Amino acid sequence: MRSQEANSSLLNRVSELPWGRWYRQTLAILRLELKRNLFSTRAIPIYLLAVAPVLLFGVRVLVPLPERVVNNLGASSVAYAIMYRSFFLRFAVFFGCVGIFMNLFRGELLEKSLHYYFLAPLRREVLVIGKYLSGLVIAAILFGGSTVLSYLLLYAPSGVTSAREYLLMGPGLAHLGAYLGVTVLACLGYGSVFLAMGLFFRNPIIPAVVILGWESINFLLPPMLKKISVIYYLESLCPVPVPQGSVTILADPAPAWIGVPGLLCVTAIVLVIASLLIRRLEITYSNVE
Amino acid sequence: MHQGDGQRIIFDNVSKFYGEVLGINRVNLSIPPGITSLVGPNASGKTTILNLMTGLIRPTRGQIRVLGIPPDRPEELFHKVGYCTQYDSFPKGLTGYQFLYSFLRVHGHDGVQAEQLTCTALERVKMLDAAGRRVAGYSKGMRQRIKLAQAICHLPSVLILDEPLNGLDPMARSEMITLFQELGKAGLHIIVSSHILHEVDMISDRVILLNHGYVVAEGDIQGVRSEMEEHPMQILVRCSKPAHLASRIFHQDHVVEVKLHDDGQGLFVRTRSADRFYLLLNEVVVQDDLVIEAVAPADEDVRSVYEYLIGTDGGTR
Amino acid sequence: MAVYKRSYRRFGGELTPEWSRFLILPRYAYQDVLRSRLLLAFFVVCFAFPVGAAVLIYLRHNLSALALLNLSVADLISIDNKFFVRFLSFQGTMAFLLSAFVGPGLVSADLANNALPLYFCRPFSRTEYVVGKMCVLVILLSLITWIPGLLLFLLQSNLEGTTWLYENLWIAAGIFLGSWIWILILSLLTLALSAWVKWRPIAGALLFGVFFVAAGFGQAINNIFYTRWGNLINMGELIDTVWSHLFGLPGRTAVPIWSAWVALLAICILCLGLLYRKVRAYEVVR
Repeated sequence: MRSQEANSSLLNRVSELPWGRWYRQTLAILRLELKRNLFSTRAIPIYLLAVAPVLLFGVRVLVPLPERVVNNLGASSVAYAIMYRSFFLRFAVFFGCVGIFMNLFRGELLEKSLHYYFLAPLRREVLVIGKYLSGLVIAAILFGGSTVLSYLLLYAPSGVTSAREYLLMGPGLAHLGAYLGVTVLACLGYGSVFLAMGLFFRNPIIPAVVILGWESINFLLPPMLKKISVIYYLESLCPVPVPQGSVTILADPAPAWIGVPGLLCVTAIVLVIASLLIRRLEITYSNVE
Repeated sequence: MHQGDGQRIIFDNVSKFYGEVLGINRVNLSIPPGITSLVGPNASGKTTILNLMTGLIRPTRGQIRVLGIPPDRPEELFHKVGYCTQYDSFPKGLTGYQFLYSFLRVHGHDGVQAEQLTCTALERVKMLDAAGRRVAGYSKGMRQRIKLAQAICHLPSVLILDEPLNGLDPMARSEMITLFQELGKAGLHIIVSSHILHEVDMISDRVILLNHGYVVAEGDIQGVRSEMEEHPMQILVRCSKPAHLASRIFHQDHVVEVKLHDDGQGLFVRTRSADRFYLLLNEVVVQDDLVIEAVAPADEDVRSVYEYLIGTDGGTR
Repeated sequence: MAVYKRSYRRFGGELTPEWSRFLILPRYAYQDVLRSRLLLAFFVVCFAFPVGAAVLIYLRHNLSALALLNLSVADLISIDNKFFVRFLSFQGTMAFLLSAFVGPGLVSADLANNALPLYFCRPFSRTEYVVGKMCVLVILLSLITWIPGLLLFLLQSNLEGTTWLYENLWIAAGIFLGSWIWILILSLLTLALSAWVKWRPIAGALLFGVFFVAAGFGQAINNIFYTRWGNLINMGELIDTVWSHLFGLPGRTAVPIWSAWVALLAICILCLGLLYRKVRAYEVVR
């Protein structure tokens, strides 16, 4: 009886919170950040990262390839998987997220403009969420769009009919969905980590390089250690397996029911930590470089 | 909480250290509505006080309340407070209009309301014409104005201004001062820090003098001046028969110096008790048929108080 | 009548020679660099490999020490061109990391704080500014690449005899030239990125991006087009190709040697162009 009362009073308190205002403020932050960051000259390196695979497969459409390559959709699928894992996921999305998410707070601290947010009637937790969502939208548009476009271009040399057949009747569409999902998950996971780093490290590049190093040597790590990395879960979710190098230490891929909620949980935990710590952030701008 | 504390800005034994560097130490303030100026040399703690008031930094010790709200509750505080900081920096890529409008949306205003408030604020600081240009291309004075517009656009009850006259030309300064006076008269609670003493003098109802992180004096300027007994008050009197007045006051023990003006139409008095001097002056006027043209304190202003208490070199006297 | 007392005199003393003025930049930059304990520690770590290599060279020529350690000369790697390429590869990686930590803040800090006009309102040219900033990296990177490399070469020559010295002088030239090429590329690239993005952390990220992303993209090109020309955008492969050529190891080249030289030259020109565009006394805000 008492626990029921406690539950209902907790529910009452939660429903009394100003969700409507927080929602409006989050949307306002989202709009403002998109206006500032999505279409800016500063984002050019990130555009280049996103457009690289599209360019690669676009050129592949124009360059005459051997018949055996063009007609072998399975080989094309593996070629895409190799590119996706070894370049797109490990480097393009990784560095793209470094550029987008680290800038959200560190960029404002360097520009000495974060105080305008801190001087608004805004809970700092709402600011973290608003900024994170804006980064996520930008990353998802750029890298998700790049995933879809490059995947569609992959089958263009095979002709419209066989490409359509592969996509709609074969495994193509499912693969595309899986790749898109992995890209968004990568943006979610890396995004939260780099946003937090941008908030709390004066030079966030050092921890970012450490993470890059850790993610890069993942293939050499024993199975237990592999699990303490984002790339392990992301690669486990990729639909097409790729041939492993001779020095790779093999490990069973993580099932999707662990990988997806696991990454979402890590993202949520990192964001909660960032939200708690941002309350203690002071604006002095004297120790930024 | 005392009655009326909800209308005041209160610092209760507040200290702030930046590592080993002292920002402010054991500051106790209770600032009532009106225009209050923070005056002091560089690194005296003016900006620290303003930043503490607005929660941009947290106190090492002590408690702060702004109209009864602690600064670590921005969601309540900044509906009532607007702060024009000294940072001459803006979010990149925005026009003046977008800058104001976007942050009003972040405040929680809907589109129509935000648009209306933006236009009102831009008009108030005379920036409507330049509102469509990027802030990064503004002159120093324009940036100062747009910052001010951003601080007042949501119609706060308290306006905090850190060196708001910096970078403004004389015309713009006078316009800004008029604006502050208007806002003050309209009932806005204004806290302003400034180096420009005669302008502070023109607008302030009260001053807080700071030096090396300590409050050296606070209150209305006359009150502060009258408490400085080691510095005799200087008073100018323009009258008929100044020599006679001089002879009547010269033997008073509170009078330190009397000097006749060269034109023989007045005199300069230095006294340890202005009240006793004015009483005596009344007596002389009535008894000896003296015609007074003007009586004015010569050093009852912020500049003099600043010089007496802090000195021109910034060292506390 | 007005009396004007003209007491002001412009400076009439002697100035330092014009050619040496750029040295003021490294002087103060080092104060800043050495303040970071992390960086200082890393700089010390950069000497671990040369010290190890020196011990190895010494051991190869000290049979009693080898006997004490229960080793024979055959157990140790021989001191030849491959040894020095390995040395350069390792120290080159350290040089990259060092320039990634030191370099990004060199120009970006001046740009972010609008300090460039302060430099250029003095008798100080843009070239001198770039040379001065480059000097910071060039001196630091020299200390961990060709200087210890040549010292190791001299140690080996001293222990092995003058015949070895004369027969292998081309290795010394390889160490010197190979190091300088790498140093120039790293310095120019770091400065250009630092000038381009204005923010130190982002410039650092971009430097890592240029190396790793380009290498990954090059690999992707190779896989998809069944070619090896993708290596042309892989900085590591390019410099490896040049070093292999300089040290007489042609079998290791990933692309034709001429193309590696052309690609490296193109990178340098691109960086110089970027620096020329960005290092100015003014900035146009649109």
